[in-house]
Amino acid sequence: MTTTMQRRTFLRGAGVLLPLPFLNLMQASAKPTENAHPPLRFMTLFKPNGVHPPSWNISGGTEFDFRMSPLMKPFEKHRDDVLILDNMGDFGFSSHANSTRRFLSGHHRSTKSSSVDQLIADKIKGDTPHRSLELTTEGLFPNQIGCSYISYDKSGAPIPRESDPQLIFDRLFRNPLANPDHRKKMASVLDRVLEDARSLSRRAGREDRNTLDEYLSIVRQSEKRLAKMQQAKPKIDVGDFQRPLVAGNLNEQVESMLDLIELALWTDSTRCITYMLGNSNSRMVFDFLGIKEQHHYLSHFFRNFSRTNLEALLKISLWHMEKFDSLLTRLKSRREGEGTLLDNTVVLYGSGMGHSDNHTVKRIPIILAGGRGVLKTGRYVRYSQNQQLGRLHLSLLKAFGIKHEAFGGSEEPLRGLNGSDFEPYRERPFDSWVKVEGNKITVQGRLRMSDNLDEAKIFFVDIEGKPPVRVEVAFRDFHSFNLAYHCGTGITLTGTGRTDGNRQIITKVTDLKSIHGKKPGTMNG
Amino acid sequence: MRLRILLYLAGFLATFATTASAADFDRVVKPLIQKYCVQCHNGKDANPDVDFLKTMQSQEVGTVFEIWESAVKQLRAGTMPPDTEPQPTQEERKRVIAWFDDFVQNIEARPAVFQPRRLAVNEYRNTLHSVLGFDLEVAIIEAEQTLAERSLVVKLLPTDPPGKSGFKNDTHSNRLTTVAWDQYSYLVDAGLEQLFQPHRRKALEVYTGRISEDGLTVEQAQQLIKKVLSKARRRKMSADELEKAASRVGGLSGNALVGAVKFELKTILMSPAFIYRGLLISGQRGKRQRVDSYELAERLSYFLWADMPNETLFALAADDSIQQPEVLKQQIDRMLLSPKARSLTADFATQWLTINEIEKVSNNPPQMVALKSQPLDFMHYLFTNNRPLLEMIDSETAFINPHTSRMYGRDAKQMKRYVKQKGIEVEIVANQKIRLEATKERGGILTMPGILAMNRGPILRGTWILERILGDELPEPPANIGQVPPNTRGEKLTFRQRFEKHRSKAACAIWHDKIDPLGFALQDFDNSGKYLRSANYQPSKKQKRKQQAPNLRDNIDTQGKLPSGETFENMSGLKQILVTSQREAVIRNVVERTMSYALCRKLVVYDRPSVDMIVKQMDESNGTWRDLFYAVANSVPFREMILSNAE
Repeated sequence: MTTTMQRRTFLRGAGVLLPLPFLNLMQASAKPTENAHPPLRFMTLFKPNGVHPPSWNISGGTEFDFRMSPLMKPFEKHRDDVLILDNMGDFGFSSHANSTRRFLSGHHRSTKSSSVDQLIADKIKGDTPHRSLELTTEGLFPNQIGCSYISYDKSGAPIPRESDPQLIFDRLFRNPLANPDHRKKMASVLDRVLEDARSLSRRAGREDRNTLDEYLSIVRQSEKRLAKMQQAKPKIDVGDFQRPLVAGNLNEQVESMLDLIELALWTDSTRCITYMLGNSNSRMVFDFLGIKEQHHYLSHFFRNFSRTNLEALLKISLWHMEKFDSLLTRLKSRREGEGTLLDNTVVLYGSGMGHSDNHTVKRIPIILAGGRGVLKTGRYVRYSQNQQLGRLHLSLLKAFGIKHEAFGGSEEPLRGLNGSDFEPYRERPFDSWVKVEGNKITVQGRLRMSDNLDEAKIFFVDIEGKPPVRVEVAFRDFHSFNLAYHCGTGITLTGTGRTDGNRQIITKVTDLKSIHGKKPGTMNG
Repeated sequence: MRLRILLYLAGFLATFATTASAADFDRVVKPLIQKYCVQCHNGKDANPDVDFLKTMQSQEVGTVFEIWESAVKQLRAGTMPPDTEPQPTQEERKRVIAWFDDFVQNIEARPAVFQPRRLAVNEYRNTLHSVLGFDLEVAIIEAEQTLAERSLVVKLLPTDPPGKSGFKNDTHSNRLTTVAWDQYSYLVDAGLEQLFQPHRRKALEVYTGRISEDGLTVEQAQQLIKKVLSKARRRKMSADELEKAASRVGGLSGNALVGAVKFELKTILMSPAFIYRGLLISGQRGKRQRVDSYELAERLSYFLWADMPNETLFALAADDSIQQPEVLKQQIDRMLLSPKARSLTADFATQWLTINEIEKVSNNPPQMVALKSQPLDFMHYLFTNNRPLLEMIDSETAFINPHTSRMYGRDAKQMKRYVKQKGIEVEIVANQKIRLEATKERGGILTMPGILAMNRGPILRGTWILERILGDELPEPPANIGQVPPNTRGEKLTFRQRFEKHRSKAACAIWHDKIDPLGFALQDFDNSGKYLRSANYQPSKKQKRKQQAPNLRDNIDTQGKLPSGETFENMSGLKQILVTSQREAVIRNVVERTMSYALCRKLVVYDRPSVDMIVKQMDESNGTWRDLFYAVANSVPFREMILSNAE
């Protein structure tokens, strides 16, 4: 096997692009696993603060015939490798902390048991040096501590997370167990400080002698430990791996971490990783995207509605999606066995919350990727009913060969992940048409947001066999008719506008009726 | 190590035993102890800290000095023996007190036997920063409302437990472990790796001068090693030693040179001479003497900055001018102006006054930080603005921000209006200094909202004042003490009345007589620190739910009587007592805590004369914090040492 990969920028430091030669992994000498049956890994990427449903949800569509939503654009190129699930989650209103706990634990009341990643880690850890990695980007949110964790140990206690790529790199590749070169250096340091301490000892009085004895005994113990480690044989040569530079901002920090995730999985240093892109409820300020408002404030896009707020929120969500894309691209770039690293990794991406303004947990964003053999990807699976998250976890456990009768209060695995039959969502059919009388336009069809998130005020009504009608209206119409609420559903919309060639453009809305749905504000959550 | 000190002390006391006091002890004091104390205070007593059988041998008076100090304090206050036991006559009391005073007056001020100590975590962080020129930071995003440890040093090194002095810089019994050693090694590697990265070029060039395109030259590498060596050793090194260290990288170039330099620097920073303080001290073995100038610079710098001496101090140590009291004084003035003096509040005041307890009051960081920053900013103001020691008890100055301003009534109007930026839901806001006019009850540290909220209820509040402000050490309460019982049916006693019943046992009453008046004086403030007598008092939601609100404002009983017999109506009366008739006790506690922090050890019997002298001086002159820092820096235990013999 020859690894063909491009030389690329490994990490970006302190605002300057520093092209670094990427590891020595390009040489065949550093091939990690020659295993004919590479192990199956599990990787979770958590997105904080839910989504803005009109831009996240897929509008209409069926299992194989669907159009990716505006927020999915960044990873559209991975269409064949992803399995998009819809109607996941069965709660109305939910707090940040509870929805976050459910993300990997099935139910927020499962407070005495492991989260699903930890059960999987137990099963697949093999003889990897690190059973699992629990990663994050930001500090603890003590106000509702559950917002800061997705991974829980078998007693249900949260597992401490690490945010610093350098620390993770060192834990993986610099610890003396993994790195013979590092052991050698350490031994010489010990020799020298021992010499130093002895020479100090010659001139010391009683009190100092005590102190120095204490110091010397520690150094000798360290020498002994090191000698024991000399016997350990590293599985791979990590000596030339490049340590990440100090990150200048969140993006650099996350990119570094994704690099390390790729490396950790590929070198089989660990087989199970969870990574939170932020706390649920995160109040991070995405200054590097030119945004000054706190993320949580923006995520309440209805309560704090303004065009600029919405645009800022979508920019942040898009950034999250780009990181997911980046992860998939990395995993695909590594060839392994007959396929790629992604083929041998089950990736779970999503959030604990669906609608980030009203906190509903009925259509939370969940995407699975990779996992060839256990997942059938390239599909959009929208279930007829809202599904408990525990069912997803049960199927994941099954995929990893773990038998569990129940998880998080669910007893039935989720159907359809590996291509098995499932009951798809069926919508009552409706006709779609457009009528033009002078400047008055009436249209019936499915409403969706523009694919271009820079123009968040533009909507389209899709009509079977015809070009969509563009709706481009003033803020007042947008707001009073609550266009965003109806996205993805059938509506009858009346307004005035113009015709441009064979396309209609509505510039003022006079009436909007939902065909099968309810009025906004009449449903709980 | 402890045994050695005791042996040393025994030697010192043996000389003392020949004086008249020792004979007096056997004749005057011993029979009285037999008569009044030993019946309860013997080996089987519930409180092993006060075992008078142990103290019966006169030559051991010094080793159990603390017992004597506390016993005589009780005797003076009339709190011991308890009312239920036979009482000594006034004459007998006076005799013991006179003997003790005589004993104390005959103690000679002496420095301690010098002991090296490991740098505490914060000192190590600051010292490493001083050598490298930058902080080692953890990559973590600090959004508002989250808690994150930014310092890699603090994150990785094991937390220091407080030493016998109660302060974390007293690391004498905090032994080095392999875990800590591994972390030191890791931190040094991380620091050196950064030092040679492009974004730290400036920090590197401080040592090497401008580095050209061709990279580090051998001369520059040798400069670097020499300079870091002198700095890390915190004293002047001989030319030989410097040359020897530098010679090891001769003849190398390129990556090999950088690798060798990093290795040399690592051995310097992993050496015990860097990790510990005082291993290189110079002086004559077995003698009492002044500490050398580099040690003095270090003592001063770690006291006021928790950091190594900077170049100015280093230069003053090099020509010994730092030994002159005038120069020392100027340096203290200068050092207090530096931002590094913030460590006096962040470390000294925080540990002394247990200010970190405020972190448990609120789990909302901006709110918690607001409460915590009030005593911190206030103490920093006292420390650095030459304010009197006693202003700590009552003051017209306060520091508030929008999170705490509700508690300051009309006085909050002095604050500049705070405008929250669009899209910011909550954030940490800096304090502003105000003058208390309408809310004078908030003056001083005792009635700050955070301090009141961290100690809930009169007992915890009273205990805190007694220990932290008046400097009394309380024994642990008995384990089977139980709770204050609720009213039985038909009974309508206030909490205080029910409490009186609960504490009536003699052994408890002795302490509660001291604690309770202090704590009940604060009953005007509810558990969250709000002032109940304020016109716009609003109970918290929780209190409203429990319907405690009406109860809280009725029947407030803040009157009290101290064991000395003094009475007061409420907190402002108590504050008045603390700054007048009790001022000596308050000042003594302040002096002892400050001295103990400065010396990084628990005070012992031969520190007593130095403490007494400073207390008297501060009391008479209504001294300021700066005066106190001068006095401590010029005191015998700070300026002198005894170097143990070589073995």
